[in-house]
Amino acid sequence: MRYKLTALLLFMPCQLFANSCQQPAVDPSRVAVAGGSVTEMIYFLGEEHRLIAVDRTSNYPQEARLLPQVGYVRALSAEGMLSLEPTLIMGEDDMGPPEVIAQLERTGVEMVRIPESFTPQGVIDKLRCVAKVLAVDSHQIAIAEAKLAASLQQLEAISFSKPKVLPTAAVILVFSEGSPVAAGANTAGDGLIKMAGMRNALSAIDGWKPLSAESLIEADPEYLILTDRAVAAAGGLDKVYENPAIRLTTAGRKKQLLQMDGMALLGFGPRTLDAAATISTLVRK
Amino acid sequence: MRVDVVRVPTNFLPKLTAARFFLLTVLLIFFTLAGLANGGVLIPLPDLLMGRATDLQEIVFLEIRSPRVFLAGFVGASLALAGTVLQGLFRNPLADPGLIGVSSGAAVGAITMIVLGASFSIPVWLLPYTMPLAAITGAIGFTLLLYSFAKYFGRFSIVTILLVGIAMNAIAAVIIGLLQYISDDGQLRTLVFWLMGSFGRAQWSTSLPAMFVMVVASTYLIGQIRNLDYLQLGEAEAYFLGVDVPQAKRNMILWSAAAVGAGVALTGIIGFVGLVVPHLARLLLGSSHQVTLVGSALIGATLMILADLVARTVMVPEEIPVSLVTNAIGAPFFLWLIARASRV
Repeated sequence: MRYKLTALLLFMPCQLFANSCQQPAVDPSRVAVAGGSVTEMIYFLGEEHRLIAVDRTSNYPQEARLLPQVGYVRALSAEGMLSLEPTLIMGEDDMGPPEVIAQLERTGVEMVRIPESFTPQGVIDKLRCVAKVLAVDSHQIAIAEAKLAASLQQLEAISFSKPKVLPTAAVILVFSEGSPVAAGANTAGDGLIKMAGMRNALSAIDGWKPLSAESLIEADPEYLILTDRAVAAAGGLDKVYENPAIRLTTAGRKKQLLQMDGMALLGFGPRTLDAAATISTLVRK
Repeated sequence: MRVDVVRVPTNFLPKLTAARFFLLTVLLIFFTLAGLANGGVLIPLPDLLMGRATDLQEIVFLEIRSPRVFLAGFVGASLALAGTVLQGLFRNPLADPGLIGVSSGAAVGAITMIVLGASFSIPVWLLPYTMPLAAITGAIGFTLLLYSFAKYFGRFSIVTILLVGIAMNAIAAVIIGLLQYISDDGQLRTLVFWLMGSFGRAQWSTSLPAMFVMVVASTYLIGQIRNLDYLQLGEAEAYFLGVDVPQAKRNMILWSAAAVGAGVALTGIIGFVGLVVPHLARLLLGSSHQVTLVGSALIGATLMILADLVARTVMVPEEIPVSLVTNAIGAPFFLWLIARASRV
């Protein structure tokens, strides 16, 4: 496991050469952002004065919600975006739709896609990429990196006391009609579980999937990590515990449900390292 | 060979109808201009014509706004026209292009591409066209299947077509559900937005071929005035009046599928226009196909341009899905139609 992670970490930076993170933007004075974690990174770097608009997934920090909205990260509108006269558009890996991105490219507005990988190094790379593109001064970068390094150290300190058998966990994004939509392999949820030093009970499935009660009971996670939204939509933690799919798992029996803001858990912005550390600490207790 | 018993006057329009046609044309021109003049980015048309606009304004106007306004017009006209033809053909006021499986077929094609596209090796030059091509393949494929089933099961009678249409739509729903299930998070969100319909993805490179198909198909459909009018009397009567009924049915369904499929392939599913606009046209212009076909195309184009204008300006810099607008206008209007019919 350790070796695999290290191998991944070594491999990740190579991928970065394939994108435009290597050079600063021509004019980063008016930035429109599509993607919550990118917005968080910009605030984290103290560069929020450049922001002129954000998308609907950018709900942290609170102030970001006051900025003009360009819609949902995958359903952007070219003309709406341009009406704000951005000099630079920064987006999550999955911003779209592709046709709108093509329209925007044709207008010559500078656009940067920030790559994403669901590992601790992915968070650091994201920070470096945003900092590079915005030409943030080295002092500020150093402060931000130091903060991330502190979180990372905390995370590593906890994982030193790693038990032989990792506890299993599942991440639940939301309940759709009562059935939990949970993270399989290759998801941010999977990355979070690994970061927190646990094993994904649902690694056999791929992507986010709505689960039947039985398959969740069968996977029997020891811990359940839920987004605030999922808990609120279900009507509170008590109601979640009453859900048969939850009640009959080990996590449900032992009342081992953890609840946190969805973007903090799954955005892979600066807060995700802390979220993973918090979860890891709670689990090791 | 053929004896024309009922000769539909072909070059004579009542004065009132002519005036209304004129008004509809003026409205279409007005809203086309309004659509071109308004949007998120401020582009004063006089400046643009005098060449005083900035480069950005010019590109936005030519590359982003114009294709979507024209595509909206063409799609609106095609949907409405296909709706009118199908309502005439089925002699059923509730028929709409969704019925012959064309919309759900297009959805199956497009969603297959969204979910499984990455696993096909597609040459780069073809990439911008893969979604529309997949959608139109799905649209035509489903309609052809419907045609063969209906022909095989029940000599292509109207009732069989309707029933097979329901079954085909259910099959499409199963395939879409399955694809939704195996899709990942990103694909799922992409396909949800695709299903909601939008003209925001319009680009000349894909819009022009689609417009060409729509024009050809619409021309054919508008040429069906006499056949459709005769079919209103019943199929047997139409046959004795010299209409080759099976051939007419087949051609009208396939060309309607082409007209709708070409548009839906680019825009996603847009509700209610194909159902409601034909009624609006009959209400304003009378029920002869001589006036309803062209009339519904005019009204459909105007309403769609207007709906798109609302969709993209009401929440700038965001944009709402255009089918939200068409459904919001269409559903109450439909209720009103029902109320009106039950009072008479």
